[in-house]
Amino acid sequence: MLLKLKGVTKEYRKKTILEDVNLKIEEGDILGVIGQSGSGKTTLLNLIAGFIEPTDGEVTYLSKVTNEERSLTKNLHKIKRHIGFTPQHNSFYPKLTVKENLWHFGKLYKVPSAVLKNNIRNLLNFTKLIDHQNALAEHLSGGMQKRLDLSCSLIHKPRLLLLDEPTADLDPILQKEILHLLQEVNKQGVTIVIASHQLDSIEMLCNKIAIVHKGKVHSHGLLEDIQKPYLKEHFTIKMKQGQDKERLLARLKVLPIQKIVDNGHSLEIYPKDIQKTMNSILEIIREENLYLHDLDMRKPSLNEIFEKIATGK
Amino acid sequence: MRSIWLITKKNVRLLLRAKGSALIVIFAPLLIVLILGLSYNTTSQFGLSIGVYAPSFTEDVNSFITTLEEEEFTIERYESSIDECVEEIKMGKVHTCISLPESLSVEDNTPREVKFYVDPSRLNLVWMVQETVQGKFDIKAQEISEGLTQNILTKVAQTQTTITETSGTLSSVQSEAAAVSGITASVKSDLSILDLQPTTSDFGSEVLKNLTGELKNAEENIQKSLERLETANMSTSDKNVIKRYLESAAESLSSTDDIDDNGTSTSAKSVFTNIIDELNATRTKLSKASLAVSDATPALASSGNTLQQIQSSLDSVLASLNDISATLSAQKVTEAGTIVSPLTTVIEPVREESTYLNYLFPAILVLVVMFSSLLLGTTLVMMEKNSPAYLRNFFLPIRKTTFIISTYMTNVILIVIQLIVILGISLFFLTDTLPQFPSLALMLFIAASVFTFLGMAVGYFFVSEETGILASISLGNIFLFFSGLILPLEGLSPLLRSITQYSPFVIAEKLVREVFLFSTPLEAVWLDAVIFVGYAVALFVLIIILESFMHKHLVHKFLRHHHKAHRQKDKRNKGRA
Repeated sequence: MLLKLKGVTKEYRKKTILEDVNLKIEEGDILGVIGQSGSGKTTLLNLIAGFIEPTDGEVTYLSKVTNEERSLTKNLHKIKRHIGFTPQHNSFYPKLTVKENLWHFGKLYKVPSAVLKNNIRNLLNFTKLIDHQNALAEHLSGGMQKRLDLSCSLIHKPRLLLLDEPTADLDPILQKEILHLLQEVNKQGVTIVIASHQLDSIEMLCNKIAIVHKGKVHSHGLLEDIQKPYLKEHFTIKMKQGQDKERLLARLKVLPIQKIVDNGHSLEIYPKDIQKTMNSILEIIREENLYLHDLDMRKPSLNEIFEKIATGK
Repeated sequence: MRSIWLITKKNVRLLLRAKGSALIVIFAPLLIVLILGLSYNTTSQFGLSIGVYAPSFTEDVNSFITTLEEEEFTIERYESSIDECVEEIKMGKVHTCISLPESLSVEDNTPREVKFYVDPSRLNLVWMVQETVQGKFDIKAQEISEGLTQNILTKVAQTQTTITETSGTLSSVQSEAAAVSGITASVKSDLSILDLQPTTSDFGSEVLKNLTGELKNAEENIQKSLERLETANMSTSDKNVIKRYLESAAESLSSTDDIDDNGTSTSAKSVFTNIIDELNATRTKLSKASLAVSDATPALASSGNTLQQIQSSLDSVLASLNDISATLSAQKVTEAGTIVSPLTTVIEPVREESTYLNYLFPAILVLVVMFSSLLLGTTLVMMEKNSPAYLRNFFLPIRKTTFIISTYMTNVILIVIQLIVILGISLFFLTDTLPQFPSLALMLFIAASVFTFLGMAVGYFFVSEETGILASISLGNIFLFFSGLILPLEGLSPLLRSITQYSPFVIAEKLVREVFLFSTPLEAVWLDAVIFVGYAVALFVLIIILESFMHKHLVHKFLRHHHKAHRQKDKRNKGRA
């Protein structure tokens, strides 16, 4: 465990933005924080970054040296050295060159000069900015600026990288490029927390998801675990004219079925375990000469889950 | 037209919704009018602090001091020496020193000299002091002049009265003299008729002389004969006979009038007769003369009386003239210049006369430092605040003070470069001021620090760069306006005047002027310098508080904007869908 939020509540102008958030971030995770606008995900990110303090509860981190949990607020100055933050908009000095920006932030993170030189070289190679190291930051393209921004956040080799909408306002190619870069960063052992609206990107990149809804962490965990409650596995069987519906229902009821929705000419069947009941249902359909109208076994996307949560359906 | 109106309406709306702009547009003029109103809405006199030195504070001097005090000037008395007061001018504690004579009353032809000691580097104040205080002196001089003139006029009037009185006496003397003159003429004519000439020139005096001599000899001889006869060996009878003869001869000789037939006696007789005739004639003349004299005597007596009166009158006139002379002699002030200007004022600069550049140089330096520091301070903070990297700085393991000090250092480095250039160039014009440069540089450094922190505070306080810069310029202008460079501070209302004494510009200009113009050692200005450093420290603390406050404000603003942006994006997305 790298970071833990215990009962964290944040109020802003007497309005609760986040309420009783409990979250664990494990070392090596890529955690995607998703939620509606104003749901509190940016606030959550800022709380993790120590940019704002919780009104209630505590954010703790695990000290690598003592292996103890320590309060983030109380040890902010120390923990800041292990956190990299990339805000939504580029956060570097446009009038400094790429190299100057990296050197400036590296020195402010108190990275020794020799180490910093090495870090800069590696980052420039890694972000493919080596050929533009002496160009003014303001003269870089959008993608390069985003990479520079990311480099500035990584210059001190943080344990935790926080990103707020890293792919917002980028074209799909650049989005892909950045996501790839982040995967590479993660492979180097950096834990990543991303707050984003780009649910496809989050789904593609993150191994863990936290869904923030109305100031609360609605769901949190592995993507599969998040998807489970939203699995849409059911059969829709169409009845022919004159067929004995009662007999069919009697045969189905012996199977492990969660619920059956009678739509008149069709029945929606929600089995408890689709894998186990699939063969039995298919046999009944064949024997009763029924027509299988629809069989849905797809895992719901984050978009769907998000929509369901947002609309409350 | 409709478009113009729409755009105008939009502009006004935007302007009013931007708090900073609204503040500047609406409240700045109100503030300026308020400040000016409070500053100059006063009927009180200039708040001049005047040092007065006099060898002794006589009634005269004290009366003048009271006149000054009535005009709400603050009077400081210096009894030991004027130099003490001059030093106070250099320190800015008094505006002018007045060296008064022991007494202001003019007693001889030398006008009383009053010396003003002024600081020529405070150009507008010098004129104000001269105009205001000299006005009081002019009144005093006029009073004295009037006194002197009145004194002279009184004496002239007294003289005139005396002359009028004396002229009466002289008129009577004139008529009396005329009368005496008439009497004298009459006596003269009376006496002119007297014939006192002898009728003959020779009374036979030689004959009479010879005769007398011979008679005398004969008498002597008879006497001798008588004496010898006494001793002669003769009989007494003989002797008596002889003696009788001799005595008879002697008797004859002694009674020469009895001689008739002697030729000698005849001539003597005629002589005597002539003499008698002459004497008779003389007697007649003398009688006439006596008569004339008798006639003249009353007139002469009258003339004598008149002359005595004249003498008495003349004595009186002389006494009057002596009085007039004494009165006029008592008038010691006789020079027209002294009477017209009994008090002369001399303006003494407390430092050697120099060029206007010299006088203005401290103010120019402080002005440059103030505006540069204020604007640079604000600009640097604004640059940082508006920089895309601003947010990242919050995640850096750096203390707030580090950023503040860095901004300050940046500013100071730039100001120091500016100052080096300015001072370097100024050496061409002010070649003799090089020794003052170290102290000057120190004071300017402190001033730059104070104004930098002030500019930074403005930068942290305002949100937009434009508003911040505008606020800095306005602040600089306020400092300039209330610095005494444009209008003397002494003309402000007493409350604001006392407040402006704590204006950083006023303190800076005072410190720089003292070390630059008067070569005042740092030990003498340490208190002001320490106060100024205190300003810098206080502002630094204020900036930390402001920065801390701004941090929270910015975080909240950031969150609010962030949410707002997302909401707008959601709306757009929904719209597209």
